[in-house]
Amino acid sequence: MLRIKYFGVMAEVARCDEEKLALKDKSFSSLISALHEKYAIYNLPVQVAVNRKIRKQNENFNLEENDEIAVLPPFSGG
Amino acid sequence: MTSIYYKKINEMKKVFIEGAIQPGFVAEAIAKHQSKKNIGAHNIFLGQIRADEVDGKQMNAITYSAYEEMAAEKLHEIREDAFAKFNLTCMHIYHSLGKVKAGELCFFVFVSSKRRKQVYQATEYLVNRVKSEVPIFGKEIFASKEFQWKVNV
Repeated sequence: MLRIKYFGVMAEVARCDEEKLALKDKSFSSLISALHEKYAIYNLPVQVAVNRKIRKQNENFNLEENDEIAVLPPFSGG
Repeated sequence: MTSIYYKKINEMKKVFIEGAIQPGFVAEAIAKHQSKKNIGAHNIFLGQIRADEVDGKQMNAITYSAYEEMAAEKLHEIREDAFAKFNLTCMHIYHSLGKVKAGELCFFVFVSSKRRKQVYQATEYLVNRVKSEVPIFGKEIFASKEFQWKVNV
């Protein structure tokens, strides 16, 4: 299980600030597919951060159990 | 989390302020620099909430939230870059979290240097990078209690 944090409008789409998702394997591409299946993220202007760094959705690498994952809408500070 | 992570967070400066940034806080920040006698120029940017009208509806506040851990890391990086790029004596960045009403301040960037030339460029550089790279999210609240998520242009 991986812990995912949601921010801004994405927390409203997911109806929570945080949840755990079970993936078929611990790859980043499985995470992106799971998020798309659940929330249609390909159609949303969101970015995914792993351990506080934005990663491209087409990157592939393995995730660790305690990685900090966050789905972020466009930044609108200021 | 490892102790290295905590050390890093502890070294980071406080940026987020709950609610509006008070004019008195800005005055206090200026006063704190009067003992630093190598400074010859300060420049300040203050972001204020505008009461925009959208489709006939009056906006009266923005509620800010942030991914604070990532924001702290990103701000640290932006600060280091600005010190490397410009000849600055010091720099301070503050941003509101929570509700800030129209007419109140939500963003305060304060740059100081020996001479004036670089403080203008440094301020703009910091404001632009904070707006585009720091994970802060604004929800615009209308008088009718309806809302929309803020988009930076």
